[in-house]
Amino acid sequence: MTHVSIQHLTKLYPGGDHPALDRLSLEIESGTLTALLGPSGCGKTTTMKIIAGLLEPSSGDVRFDGRSILREKPENRGAVMVFQNHLLFPYMSVAENVGFGLKMRKTNPAEIKRRVGEMLDLVRLPDLGERRPSALSGGQQQRVALARALIVQPEVLLLDEPLSNLDTHLRFGMRDLIRSLQQETGITTIFVTHDQEDAVVLADRVALILDGQMKQYETADAFYKRPVDEATARFFGGRNFVSGTSADGVFDSALGRLVLPLGAIAGQGTLTFRPENVRLGHAPSGENNLTADLIEVIYLGTQTRLKLSVGDMLIEAIVNPTDAEGYRVGALVPLHLPSGALWVIS
Amino acid sequence: MSDRLKIFLLLLPALLVIVGLFFGGLLIGLMRSFNYMPVIGLTEPNLQAYAAIFTEEEFYYSFLLSFHISFTSTVISCILAVGAALLLRRAFIGRAIINFLFQLNLTVPHLVGAIGILYLFSQSGSFARLAAEFGMIARPADFPALVFDPYAIGIILQYVWKEVPFIGVIVLANMQAMGEDYESVARSLGASKWQSFRYVLLPLIFPGLLSASVIVFAFTFGAYEIPALLGANYPAALPVLAYRKYTDVDLAARPEAMALAILIAVMSAVMIYIYIRYARRRVRGVR
Amino acid sequence: MIGQDGLWTKTFRYLTCLVLVIWLVLPLIPLAIWSFARGWFFPDILPRFWTLDAWDYAMSDTSGVLDSLWLTIGISLAATALSILIGVPAGRALGMYKFRGKEVVEMMILAPMIVPGIAVALGIHSVFIWLGLTNTVQGVILVHLIPTLPYMTLVMAGIFSNYDPAFEAQARSLGASPLKTFWYVTLPAILPGIIVGGLFAFLVSWSQYILTLLIGGGRVLTLPLLLFNFATSGRNDITGAIGMIYILPGILILLLTAKQLLGRSAAVGGFGRL
Repeated sequence: MTHVSIQHLTKLYPGGDHPALDRLSLEIESGTLTALLGPSGCGKTTTMKIIAGLLEPSSGDVRFDGRSILREKPENRGAVMVFQNHLLFPYMSVAENVGFGLKMRKTNPAEIKRRVGEMLDLVRLPDLGERRPSALSGGQQQRVALARALIVQPEVLLLDEPLSNLDTHLRFGMRDLIRSLQQETGITTIFVTHDQEDAVVLADRVALILDGQMKQYETADAFYKRPVDEATARFFGGRNFVSGTSADGVFDSALGRLVLPLGAIAGQGTLTFRPENVRLGHAPSGENNLTADLIEVIYLGTQTRLKLSVGDMLIEAIVNPTDAEGYRVGALVPLHLPSGALWVIS
Repeated sequence: MSDRLKIFLLLLPALLVIVGLFFGGLLIGLMRSFNYMPVIGLTEPNLQAYAAIFTEEEFYYSFLLSFHISFTSTVISCILAVGAALLLRRAFIGRAIINFLFQLNLTVPHLVGAIGILYLFSQSGSFARLAAEFGMIARPADFPALVFDPYAIGIILQYVWKEVPFIGVIVLANMQAMGEDYESVARSLGASKWQSFRYVLLPLIFPGLLSASVIVFAFTFGAYEIPALLGANYPAALPVLAYRKYTDVDLAARPEAMALAILIAVMSAVMIYIYIRYARRRVRGVR
Repeated sequence: MIGQDGLWTKTFRYLTCLVLVIWLVLPLIPLAIWSFARGWFFPDILPRFWTLDAWDYAMSDTSGVLDSLWLTIGISLAATALSILIGVPAGRALGMYKFRGKEVVEMMILAPMIVPGIAVALGIHSVFIWLGLTNTVQGVILVHLIPTLPYMTLVMAGIFSNYDPAFEAQARSLGASPLKTFWYVTLPAILPGIIVGGLFAFLVSWSQYILTLLIGGGRVLTLPLLLFNFATSGRNDITGAIGMIYILPGILILLLTAKQLLGRSAAVGGFGRL
């Protein structure tokens, strides 16, 4: 149960024109499952490797329970990293792989055998101890890699893209496994992913990293309801950004005057609302009603995407296909935006 | 044209050369070692040549000497080569120079290196003169015999000089292909630098190391010019003994020379066997 | 790189680097010095008199050094050319096709790399006497094929295993004859391999001793044989000069292929994947 504190972590690569990590700071509560989310090259794996001791930062600090671990060698930190391509030692059996960490700590062989058996049961791979890694499926290999990491009871568990190599149907099982393992063991776990669905489903809190900077660090829903800026919103599939001024609970912009939810701050800003929150038809109360020209209809099976224009503004909406049935391109479509779905990015 | 025929025709010239010259040469040598050569009238094979060798004290000393040379050279070269490869893995300021020198070394023939060792380590060589300069010795004879000596130190030095870059280049290529990820995993799991080398990296580079060692051992066992130049007269290395017998005025020594040649071939066959048995299987398991 | 190197490690690394550089160059130094020395006796660290006498002698017509040089170059070029002609098709067969008995064929072709020359040469000598090939240049060239062919084949097999025959099929379907296809499509693709393999083969032939000695009977006096004779005769100065000449082609080859051999040697690295 370790609290991880990442403080102003910066990493410059020689010859690089901008830092891989730019003063990244993050406080991770002990016992939580945190996702580091971001596109490739944003610095999330670099952060993991620094925590694990496989890379040195240019500046900044990393603390476990308040004590800095930067001076410590990788093998002494208690932070175990599981790589994306599992990297099971090819010439060792599954049991030897899982027991590796204990062997390095000079645990006695009988004890190693016992714990390995326990671990393999825990990841639901009993009886596979004598096989070679090459004889296992991708999902099984991933589980062995997890077992190999958990057996040494790390203070912090670092998972690098644990789901990226798996087929969709295997992903669900692995998500469940990671989730339940983390809850059973209570180990502070950080995992890296570029897929926001994985992050949203698995993590207690999500840290969005773009271009080496930490954008937002909150529970998953915050990225949908209260994105911190346009880039963040877009990463999560947000659309519809319009600039204007908010005053007295009303937002004035090219879309007209829209009623904001309670507690909105006054001033200049960008209003955003997610496509799935756009409602067809006008609200009886008359609040936030718009009429738009339908430009494009894209049928996606379980949903229909509509591209509309209000004056010069382009709006995207995602609606139920049945609701969209009546509309043809060129028609005028009544919409309304529930005030609770509006968010102003200042 | 069918594939099978195509393959056969492509391989034909090479197989002719190999089967004709190489295996043919071995076969003839084998036959002559049994004193069997119908073409010139020797129609009764016998084991006289082998009997003569195996009852000769000189043979055993020569065999042991050659084995000692090969074994020691191979082991020392392997250890130093792995060390050099570990050094050269990561970029640092002298790396380009050393890489270049390694490759330069590969192009220098053994004979030149052997002469260089001779001029450096003989009792009137550069090191002896340095020792005299510092007052450690008075006359050449005072300097320890490193060439023409019973322990073949000069010979081993020369082989190590040439084989460390040879093995080193192979091992380095292996290490670079492997990357550092496996060791990262091991360190992350609690292995120290030494443990991650011993339990993770070493097993991974072992197949390449073994194949290189096998080549080095066979080469050093059967090479002629280096022990001919740097070695003592008695006991002489096995190839030197074989050549001596072959060029002996007494023609009866010829089958004995053939027998020695066959024994050298057998030793390299053992090396090939070791390679097939231990290096190949490993490689398949890894890939 | 895993973590940072400590001060001790860094110092150790640079020290080892220095030792390595010195050690790699060391044996060549006395040879070079000897070639310019006159009367360099114990216990002088450096020669008292410097002279170009040894080089004059080596370059002269009477010493036969230059003759030996051209002879060796000629033999090695011939052996290389033959190896290319034989090795390229063999490499293609091994690199591009799977067939029954392939492993046996591979072992057969690679065996000469491990079996020492003397084991084979004594037997060949008998046959060559009968064929009239002993003491001839042709005989020596032929016997040099034994060590050079496997290297060439190995390199070409590696090249061909990464080669996509679809290119040839494409050319044929566009109307190119087999010959044109080979010339315009196949050859440019495999040329780097031919060059690397050829240079290796050249070096292997260049450093041959016992094969030349036995089959050439001492009459075919290649540079290594000449060098050995002078080395055992005690004329260290001439030995030094010949030695310097002898390593020159190797250095030239290295500089020529510096780009291709940078970091990893194509054929040598392939050993790890045998």
